[in-house]
Amino acid sequence: MEPKKLCLALYTGSVDKLTAAGVILGGAAADDMKVDIYVLLQGARAFRKDIGDNSDKLPMAENADLREGFLQSLKNLKVKTWVEFFKEAKAITDVKIHICGLAGKVWGGEKLDDFIDLADDICGISAYITSAQEADVNLFI
Amino acid sequence: MTTEELKNVVVAKSVDARGTACPGPLLEAKKAIGTIKAGDVMEILSADEGTKSDIPKWCGKQGHEYLGAVEENGYFKVYMKKK
Repeated sequence: MEPKKLCLALYTGSVDKLTAAGVILGGAAADDMKVDIYVLLQGARAFRKDIGDNSDKLPMAENADLREGFLQSLKNLKVKTWVEFFKEAKAITDVKIHICGLAGKVWGGEKLDDFIDLADDICGISAYITSAQEADVNLFI
Repeated sequence: MTTEELKNVVVAKSVDARGTACPGPLLEAKKAIGTIKAGDVMEILSADEGTKSDIPKWCGKQGHEYLGAVEENGYFKVYMKKK
């Protein structure tokens, strides 16, 4: 049977939403889903090599005043970082991460090598639309 | 299965996921299922309430048999049989 497909438009560059995306990826991996992630605008900033897992450089999407408590709580609960979640999902199922070419340029990234090694390629918007049309589940985070 | 039956079931694999929060226990189960044979029983130890609904749903989709859960002191054990 063909695996179900999840297409995720990852717009966010915030630590709370990236963590949520990581949790969802875990569920998709457990179900052996094929996952396509399209990293858009703010998301591409988080994938820069000088940012990635460095939570000090990642903002909160909501309730910025609760940031320290949020990060401390994740640490206390031994919750993986967003990068660790993404890596784990890639190790379990077929996850491809595509950086939007425009988004990369906005943050000074022209080549795949400018981003953390989770990224598989740099793509155009048609690739995202095609994947979204074929997917069983579509998410925009 | 009844609680008594679950307590006496022969377990081929025990996965201790008590140190992890969702989706940790589910992913630990996913990783471990490949190490046991069809018909074997696996138990997952978890203190994350979400596991009680995650594992039955996952079993249903993957074709495994969900056997039930047993409460322990501060955690619980979830049992499943591999398809």
